[in-house]
Amino acid sequence: MSALKAPQPGMSGRVDWTFVFAVVGLVVTGTIAMLSAASTTMYYQAILQKHFIALAMGAGLFTVTLAFNYQVFQDQSKALYVIALGLMFAVLVVGSSIRGHRAWIRLPGFSFQPAELARVLVVLVLADFLDRRALRVQDVSTILMSLAIAAPIMLLILKQPDFSTALTFIPMIVGMLFCAGADVLQLLFIFGFGAATLTFPLVYTLCQVRFPNAAPGSLPAFVIAVSKMGWATLALVTGIAAVSFLIWRLLTWMRLQVKPFAFIAFPLIAASALLCGIVINGRMKSYQRNRFVAFVAPSSDVQGAAYNVIQSKVAIGSGGVWGKGLFSGTQSQLGFLPERHTDFIFANVGEEMGFMGAGLILGLYMIVLWRIVTAARQARDRYGYLVCAGLASMFAFVMALNIGMCVGLMPVAGIPLPLISYGGSSLVINLWSLGIVANIYARRYALL
Amino acid sequence: MNGASSGRRERLEILWIVLAAGGAALGLRLAQLQILDSAEYRQMAERNASQMIYQAAPRGRIYDREGVPLATNQPSFSLIFLPGKGQARQDLEPLARELGRQLGRDPQDLLETLEEAEREQSAARLAENLPTPTMFQLSELKTLYPGVDLITEARRYYPFGRFASHLLGFMGKMSPGEWRTRKTQGYRADSRIGKMGLESAFEDELRGRDGGIQMEVDAQGRLKRKLGEIPWQPGSNIHLTIDAAVQKAADDALRKTLTGRGAAVAIDPRTGEILAMSSQPDFDPNALLSTDPEEVKRTSHALPEFNNAIAGAYPPGSTFKPIVSLAALNEGRISPNDVYYCPGFFKLGSAIFHCDKHEAHGAVTFLKGLAESCNVYFYNVGLRTGGDRIERYARMFGLGQKTNVPLRGEKSGHLFGPETRRKSGKGWYDGDTLNLSIGQGELTVTPIQMAVVAAALANRGTVWRPHYTQKIAYVDGRPDFVQKPERVAQVYAKDSAWDLVQKAMEVVVSSGTGYPARVPGLIVAGKTGTAQNPHGKDDAWFICFAARPGEPASIAIAVLAENAGYGAVAAAPVAKKMILAAFGMPDPDVEREKREAERAARKLLKPAAAALPARPPLPGGAR
Repeated sequence: MSALKAPQPGMSGRVDWTFVFAVVGLVVTGTIAMLSAASTTMYYQAILQKHFIALAMGAGLFTVTLAFNYQVFQDQSKALYVIALGLMFAVLVVGSSIRGHRAWIRLPGFSFQPAELARVLVVLVLADFLDRRALRVQDVSTILMSLAIAAPIMLLILKQPDFSTALTFIPMIVGMLFCAGADVLQLLFIFGFGAATLTFPLVYTLCQVRFPNAAPGSLPAFVIAVSKMGWATLALVTGIAAVSFLIWRLLTWMRLQVKPFAFIAFPLIAASALLCGIVINGRMKSYQRNRFVAFVAPSSDVQGAAYNVIQSKVAIGSGGVWGKGLFSGTQSQLGFLPERHTDFIFANVGEEMGFMGAGLILGLYMIVLWRIVTAARQARDRYGYLVCAGLASMFAFVMALNIGMCVGLMPVAGIPLPLISYGGSSLVINLWSLGIVANIYARRYALL
Repeated sequence: MNGASSGRRERLEILWIVLAAGGAALGLRLAQLQILDSAEYRQMAERNASQMIYQAAPRGRIYDREGVPLATNQPSFSLIFLPGKGQARQDLEPLARELGRQLGRDPQDLLETLEEAEREQSAARLAENLPTPTMFQLSELKTLYPGVDLITEARRYYPFGRFASHLLGFMGKMSPGEWRTRKTQGYRADSRIGKMGLESAFEDELRGRDGGIQMEVDAQGRLKRKLGEIPWQPGSNIHLTIDAAVQKAADDALRKTLTGRGAAVAIDPRTGEILAMSSQPDFDPNALLSTDPEEVKRTSHALPEFNNAIAGAYPPGSTFKPIVSLAALNEGRISPNDVYYCPGFFKLGSAIFHCDKHEAHGAVTFLKGLAESCNVYFYNVGLRTGGDRIERYARMFGLGQKTNVPLRGEKSGHLFGPETRRKSGKGWYDGDTLNLSIGQGELTVTPIQMAVVAAALANRGTVWRPHYTQKIAYVDGRPDFVQKPERVAQVYAKDSAWDLVQKAMEVVVSSGTGYPARVPGLIVAGKTGTAQNPHGKDDAWFICFAARPGEPASIAIAVLAENAGYGAVAAAPVAKKMILAAFGMPDPDVEREKREAERAARKLLKPAAAALPARPPLPGGAR
């Protein structure tokens, strides 16, 4: 712990100052945006107080994390996994609900959301696992075991229920597996399965919203029939198998070199993804359905979920190049923009600081990601490399999901924008995880 | 390790490319929203956050020839509703109930208006012209229900109430058809437009450009602050040739006739200016803008839209005789001293034509014939003159043709004569000539036509196109429009013929049937008429003109009192009151009424004063 008091000589030279400044830039921009966006809420004072406390804690944690060797995390991997599991169990048992999500653990003085902490812990645990499996990384079992490690945490998060946060695990795991050197075809199959699973509810919602009165026999009517797990479903599954078999025969007839494995795996994956999609589709909560609706047909439901997307786009678009000025955004200050200091804070920035502000945030994010990737490249060990890859994937996906939602490119997901959105535990955890990245970079020469 | 390291690098580069591509896509999207489409989104944001509350501009005022305002504007309060985002039906229902109670309207109707406003996300006008007490009650609602507000507007006001109502017209809401054509002309769905008379004919001139307050509203539809104000622009003022005093005299006097139905038109024979145009029954245009919806409904249901002065066609009866006289005298068919004997009836073949009242006039010359309106004399004159000539003169005076007074709904009446008959392929008989000579048969005229005839008789033949506009003072910087007299035709006749006709008409008033219209100190010349009406009692007519001695006639009048009986009894007094008003003379009847009213008021006041309790004695032991 002496490192905390007096950093070893040469430490400052090893720290990635570009990275640190980009992070500080993001936090400062986020704080300014939050000062403006939260000004109309009733709890402005309390929000500011919490934010600055979290900021201090986060900055402290960032520095502390920078001070000791990150390899501690690899050594304590099992403990970290137990902590993650324990936290997620605890939140389900003793957590308190806010708006239907049992996602908060309330402690005297403050409350925090453990899901994001668990997510970072999963990165650390998986990095350790993939480091150990370096020689058998091309095996399917590696992918499946990685998923198995993450699955309990994800399921517990789904139980809250928080679909969006659970979803953010997937690209993170894919990014790590890919960087670890997993077989691309296997990855494609497994995560193609995931994507296909999500495709069905999307297509179903699209048909339901766009063609509510589809004639029997038409494609939309067929899709809706498939969702009922009846003959239509069976027919579709059989169809998929038949088509892939025919393609395989066709390719062999054309004397092309193909692995028969692919043509067994493909229909299996497609069919099971379809069935999973149907199950998910049937169990979707109404607010989740509304988000799909808002995504496939934004103009169909102007008051509901789509209202948020439209207002967000209007806010960002109306900001123009220079913005309307802080505290002067009509969309945010007059209450048209929902969740303006949390999930939709980026729209607030777009409106009040214009393309300059929004572009600044995006640019700083790209710098941060670039520095994380650089840290990965230069990490002295495979563990550090994998941690950075995982964190880069995670931050990139979460950022793209949030900004994409604000600009209308992604469906509405209740995901905060890291370092910008208001949220104490999120800020602390994100700063801590970035502290790990800074640590990995600073120790790239294996001298400390 | 080296191979793994290079593999590691390769994969990392791919990851970085994916991340950079994602970032670039988001950046491009941002540029699209904030740079390319920014103007569009800015407009959407402005529409979101602002609501225009329109305020009806004052219409142009309408003045009489002396500058007395006939139609002005008053400030009025309107209740508006600004919908908030996402207000549900259950939020609107209590509001509709409350408002229905306060305004005395059906809550269901109000709810529909509220929902419409909510769907369209635009302001709706729930009630207009609120009386002050209601306004105070409603201002409390503002605090309870977001989106409800009161605004000030200009509202049309007619200071005289029931006054020249058919000429001035009234204001009303647009019909769906009118709204379709006016949508693009700056009208709004709840705008009122002129519906009749001048208000309708000069809609484009009178209408002002509505102003409004642009308010910033929040997502709940609450007004946050004023963003700006677009000042309204009042409409152009119109100065009429109407003389308010004459008009009022005509309206009041006609209303007091037997049936209270009829018309009176006064024209200045020197210019064709209309001094008064009254049609009874009339209506109170203020009642159609009333704050009480029941009153509006009642008034508009019973609205006498028919303007008798221009759209009522009646047989002129004996008022046609001056034209017959002029034709006969000018064509030399009779001499003023020819004597015809009137036994009270006239025999044509086996048919018997009666003189009015069935009494014998004895030996009748021209002066006596016109003064006492002897039908037998005119039967003889008619037969001597011939239907063709009478018809020609009638046409020269403008009968059978519209006077083209700039008002909608004018009728041309029907000219009756040999030529008209020939055109419709029918023959003309002497019996028809007899009927024509006394203004009966198929001959019909409108009161305004007879006023033009009276004016032409007064000014010796000039037939004017009657007009009521003196000047339009445009607000938009155009030079004022000043109406010039328009001569339609000239009846050419020898001075001796004019002298005789005018002289005879003077005698009508000084010692003949038109005696009730006599005004000492003025020269009044006229002709009574009592036209048979198949639907009831005779219609009473009177046409006349009046002048100060030594001056040209300055007023020509035609009065028609429907089913009121004798022209002398029912119509001539109306004309007299109009003449008195035109020359600024006191009307003895009005004076008497005023005195009586004062006396009655004094009587009412006195007992009231007596009944006032004397100051009660202070309770015992007051210190």
